[in-house]
Amino acid sequence: MTTMLVYGIDHLFAAAVARWLSVHTTGRLIGLGERMPGAPTGRAEILTATLNGQQLVELLRATQVQVVLQPVFMGEETPVTSRELACQQNVLRTMELLGACAVAGVRRVILRSSTLVYGASYRQPAFINEQQPLADRYRHGLLRDYIEVDSFSREFARKHPQLGLLLLRCASFVGGGIASPLTRYLARPYPPTLLGFDPRIQVLHPDDAAQAFGLAAMSTATGSFNLAATAPVKLAHAIRLAGRQPMPFFEPLFNVIWPGAGHDHYSHWPFEPDFFRYGCVADIRRAESELSWTAEYSTEAVLRALTSTQSDHAEARSINPLEAFLSRRSAP
Amino acid sequence: MNQGAMESELQAHVPEMSVEEVELLVSQRQTASDSTVTGQLSPIATTRPPPSPSGDEPVFAADGGTLSHPADAVYELELHMREQSRHTGSADPDSVVVHNFVADVWRLIAENLERMAPPQARIAFDLLRQFRIDGQDYLSPDFWRGIGMLLAYQLKEQTEFIRRRLRGEYQTDPYGMDREVIEIVRPFLLFMYRTWWRIRAEGVEHVPGDGRALLVSNHSGVLPWDGAMIATAVYEEHPSARIVRNLFLHWFSTLPIIAPTLASMGQVPAIPENAVRLLEDDELVCVFPEGIKGIGKLFRDRYRLARFGRGGFVQTALRTGAPLQPVAVVGAEEIYPLLGNAEPIARLFGLPFFPITPFFPWFGVLGVIPLPTRWSITFCPPIPTTEYGPEAADDPLTVFMLTEQVRGVIQQTIDAKLQERTSIF
Repeated sequence: MTTMLVYGIDHLFAAAVARWLSVHTTGRLIGLGERMPGAPTGRAEILTATLNGQQLVELLRATQVQVVLQPVFMGEETPVTSRELACQQNVLRTMELLGACAVAGVRRVILRSSTLVYGASYRQPAFINEQQPLADRYRHGLLRDYIEVDSFSREFARKHPQLGLLLLRCASFVGGGIASPLTRYLARPYPPTLLGFDPRIQVLHPDDAAQAFGLAAMSTATGSFNLAATAPVKLAHAIRLAGRQPMPFFEPLFNVIWPGAGHDHYSHWPFEPDFFRYGCVADIRRAESELSWTAEYSTEAVLRALTSTQSDHAEARSINPLEAFLSRRSAP
Repeated sequence: MNQGAMESELQAHVPEMSVEEVELLVSQRQTASDSTVTGQLSPIATTRPPPSPSGDEPVFAADGGTLSHPADAVYELELHMREQSRHTGSADPDSVVVHNFVADVWRLIAENLERMAPPQARIAFDLLRQFRIDGQDYLSPDFWRGIGMLLAYQLKEQTEFIRRRLRGEYQTDPYGMDREVIEIVRPFLLFMYRTWWRIRAEGVEHVPGDGRALLVSNHSGVLPWDGAMIATAVYEEHPSARIVRNLFLHWFSTLPIIAPTLASMGQVPAIPENAVRLLEDDELVCVFPEGIKGIGKLFRDRYRLARFGRGGFVQTALRTGAPLQPVAVVGAEEIYPLLGNAEPIARLFGLPFFPITPFFPWFGVLGVIPLPTRWSITFCPPIPTTEYGPEAADDPLTVFMLTEQVRGVIQQTIDAKLQERTSIF
């Protein structure tokens, strides 16, 4: 009987992971979050607390947790209220969690990363596998957080081989009622693109990602795994499948039009303008062969589903600022 | 289509034709039928009347009833024109060129007709017939009404196509290849292939009908027309109409417009991982190991192969067990006679080189029009690599040996073809 702990259970995607584990595993399941989860979490025991490192160690020891899953990244499913807070959550909390896991003797840790960490460049192969080095030229926002977490945790795993660390590099989420940066981009009436370029992009349905987290928790594999729906599509095609029309801008103008070109490197997919020029498409064959994971939702189906749920996005857009406001109020 | 069967069929119908004429007809019909979408032999070859010895007014069958598709009647015209060029050929070489050109135009029209829906093709054919038989019909309002209807129909087709594209109802492969874009570009490439450069492709039968293979070609001609023409040769002349995935210098991915167009046409940046993956997917990949050194070759160095990179293409073939297939392109060296390379300008714009030809940059955009040289593309027999095993990819001796072997075959074939050639045009 393994005991598993899902970190950040108050987030939608963590709840989805907990639901998958509730159905497919039999061991004890603990959900740790700062607030009560807003979505069903299956049979997970919910613990709402803000724990520091030492308290985490105590919790992990007391409950004899063997597997820890960290499927949450600030700025992905939740809006970012302050950059400082996001960095704190994404990087420092993960470091703290890893440290606590090593001390408490946790056997497996599953962390979330992004396929964007490889960066977009014309020198990249058409399908990037897990051995490719990470991009080191992005120094702002969510992408920097991802790259820091990714490289720090791999370094940490080298020093603590007993930890069994597994990194799941996920493509941008689309679907499942989750408002990710990509769905916010696709919800714009005319998503901006770069004139003369049409990179290929990948998407991932959160349910498929949740399945991968579950399979990773149950497997014995370690290392990094790319996750994405099969068959990448071109950006303009993706926008059209989502029921919108791309609006190409000439490059000098683009840097003025696109809000992500300014200071906000957290909310505007794909966070760096490079990704509008060159594709960053990950090779998912390792996850398919070693985790025996397959994406059930195709890229086309996921994007097509957006057309029918555009009204949901309108709702999500109105909820996001409210959530941001409330979390600002509750922050100390 | 079995050539022997077709020959006997033809002879049964047109007993008065000489064997030579029949052979000519067969070869022409084959190229024509290969280019059709269905690939079937249309009934023209059997219903074709014997060529009239006078050779004046054959052509549009007045009723068109015996022909299944209007395009066949236009193919008739093309054949007729070729016949005429053969008859007058020895007497007047200039008229051969004109006749062949007109024949090519007819073929172009016929191929476009084939792409139309039958009723639409019928209307277009009727218009053509009117146009040809009686020029006075220009003055008839019905003539213009007909043209108007035709244009409206075309417009409707086109707008529906664009609407469908805008709704995202199309497919691309994982590398971004878009068959519909290929179909749009194809007539233009075919024109360059048949009419502009009058390319003769030899040994296409050496290209495998399925399964992986790595075509290795010499590179020349400033702009990578040779890659496009190799792809056209295989797509048009090979019975299984395979798509060649050319590997292009990854620097081209940095160019706006060009990068997505190349990707849509099924071409892939030349990165070893891409080549391996494509070959593992049993694709037909074409590589130019000379790279920039080949394409930016000066005119005085033409047809002397540059260094074949570092043998990376051989490693790729060894890793995937794909046969290496040397391809020799002759004629592409002269399309832009490269007199010099203005390096300072190239550095200023971040280009690999800046070509100076007799026409570029002096004539601006017009200088980009390639010279209509006559080409030949020779596909040599494949060199199998499975016997060495994938681990040989890490053995420099085997890699260099194979690299030299391929390079030698290409150089020899080029030399032989240059000997055969009488004029560059």
